[in-house]
Amino acid sequence: MLALVNVFAEAATTDLNQAVAEATAKNPILPVVNEMFWTLVFFAILWALMKFVLLPPVMRTFKERADKVRDDQQAAEAADTARVDRLEQYEAGLAGARSEAVKLIEQARAEGDAERRVQVGAAEADVASLRTEAAAEIAGAKERARGELTSSITDIAVGAAEAVVQKSIDRSAQVSVVEDYVAQAGKN
Amino acid sequence: MIFGLEFPPIENLVEWPNWFGPKDSFYGFNKIAFISLVAIVATSVLFILGNRKRSMVPKGAQNLVESSVAFIRDGIVLETMGPDGMRYLPYLVSLFFFILIGNIFEVIPFFHMPANARMAGPAVLALITWAYYIAVGLKHQGPKYFINAIAPPGVPKALYILVVPIEFLSTFIVRPFSLAVRLFANMLAGHILLVTFSVLCITLFTASLLALVLPLSFFMLVALTGFEVMVAFLQAYIFTILAAVYIGSSMHAEH
Repeated sequence: MLALVNVFAEAATTDLNQAVAEATAKNPILPVVNEMFWTLVFFAILWALMKFVLLPPVMRTFKERADKVRDDQQAAEAADTARVDRLEQYEAGLAGARSEAVKLIEQARAEGDAERRVQVGAAEADVASLRTEAAAEIAGAKERARGELTSSITDIAVGAAEAVVQKSIDRSAQVSVVEDYVAQAGKN
Repeated sequence: MIFGLEFPPIENLVEWPNWFGPKDSFYGFNKIAFISLVAIVATSVLFILGNRKRSMVPKGAQNLVESSVAFIRDGIVLETMGPDGMRYLPYLVSLFFFILIGNIFEVIPFFHMPANARMAGPAVLALITWAYYIAVGLKHQGPKYFINAIAPPGVPKALYILVVPIEFLSTFIVRPFSLAVRLFANMLAGHILLVTFSVLCITLFTASLLALVLPLSFFMLVALTGFEVMVAFLQAYIFTILAAVYIGSSMHAEH
C-alpha cells in the first residue's frame, strides 16, 4: 500500500516538475538565469567603474568649475569694490580740486582787486600830478601872457598918451597903473 | 496567421540562442548579454572621451557626459534626496546609462531588441535596487528601519492594523516587482509594436490593392520608432528616479 502511495506520489511530483519546467521553458516572460547572470555581472562592473574611474573626474570638473565661478565672482566683487573706492577717491579729489579752484579764483580775484586798486591809485596820482603840472603851466602861461599884455598895453598906452600930450611920459611910472588895470580886468 | 499576416510567435521575438556556452547553462552568452556588455563599453567610452580633455567650457563628449550627470544630479538626486544623496550618484548614473543603452537597442539597426524587453535585466536591477535601499535603511536607521518602514511614526495607533500590512507589501514586495514589470512591460510592448508594423509593412509590400495602406503603416513604423526613443529615455529616467525615491525614503524615518 505504502509502496503504491509512493509510486503515485513520485509520479505526481514528476508530472508537476515536468509541467513547471515546460511552463517555465515556454513562457517568454519569465527571466532566464544566464541573462540575469550577465546583467548582474555587467551592471556590477559598470557600477564599480562609475564609482572609482568614470565619475570622479566629472565630479572634479564640476568642483573646479564651481570653484572657478566662485573665485571669479569674488574677484569681480573685489574689482567692483575697488572701482567704487576709486570712484569715491576720484570724486573726493574732484571735490578737493573744485574747492581749491574756487579758493584760487577767490585769491586771484582778491589779488586782482588789490592790483586794480593800486593801479587806479597810481593812475589817479599820475593824473593829479599831471593836472598840477598843467595848472602850473597854465598859471605860468597866464602870467607870461599877462606880463606880455601889460607890457604891450603899457607901450600902447604910453605911446598913445605921448601922442596926445606931445611930450615924453615916464614909462616906468605908468607900468604899475597898467598892471593894476590888467589885474582888475582879469578879475572881471 | 492573423488576418492573412504571418506574425511570428512571441518567443521568436524575445528569445535569443546562446552565442557560446551550453543551452541551459547559467553563463550562456546571447544577444541580450551582448547588449548589456555594449552598455558598459559604450558608457565607459563615452565617459573616457568626456574626461580626456577636460575644460571649463565643455563641448562634444564632455558636454554630453556633464549634461547627463548634471541631469541626474540636479533632476533626480538633489530633487529626491537632497545633498545627502550625492553619495548614491554613482549607482544612479550607472543605473540610468545601463537601462538607457539597453533600451535604445530597440531602434538600432541589426539589433532591434531592447535588453530590457527580457525580464532578466529589469528583475536583476530591481532586486539590486531593493537590496540597496534596504541596506541604506539599515545603515542610516539601524534595525529600526524595518519598524519605521512598515509602521511609519506619527500614524494613529489604531491605523497600524491597516498600515502595517500595506506598508510591508508596498515597501518590500510591490516596489521591486513594480520597478521590474514597468520597465519590462513598456519595452516589450514597444518591441512588439515595432515588430507588428514592420511585419505589416512587409506584408503590404505587394502588387495588390492592399499596397495603398502601406504608406500609413510605414508612417506608423517611423513614428513609433521615434516614440520608442522617447520611451527608452523615459523608462530609464523613471526607473532611476524611483530608485532614488526609494533610497531617499530609506535614509530618514519620517519619509
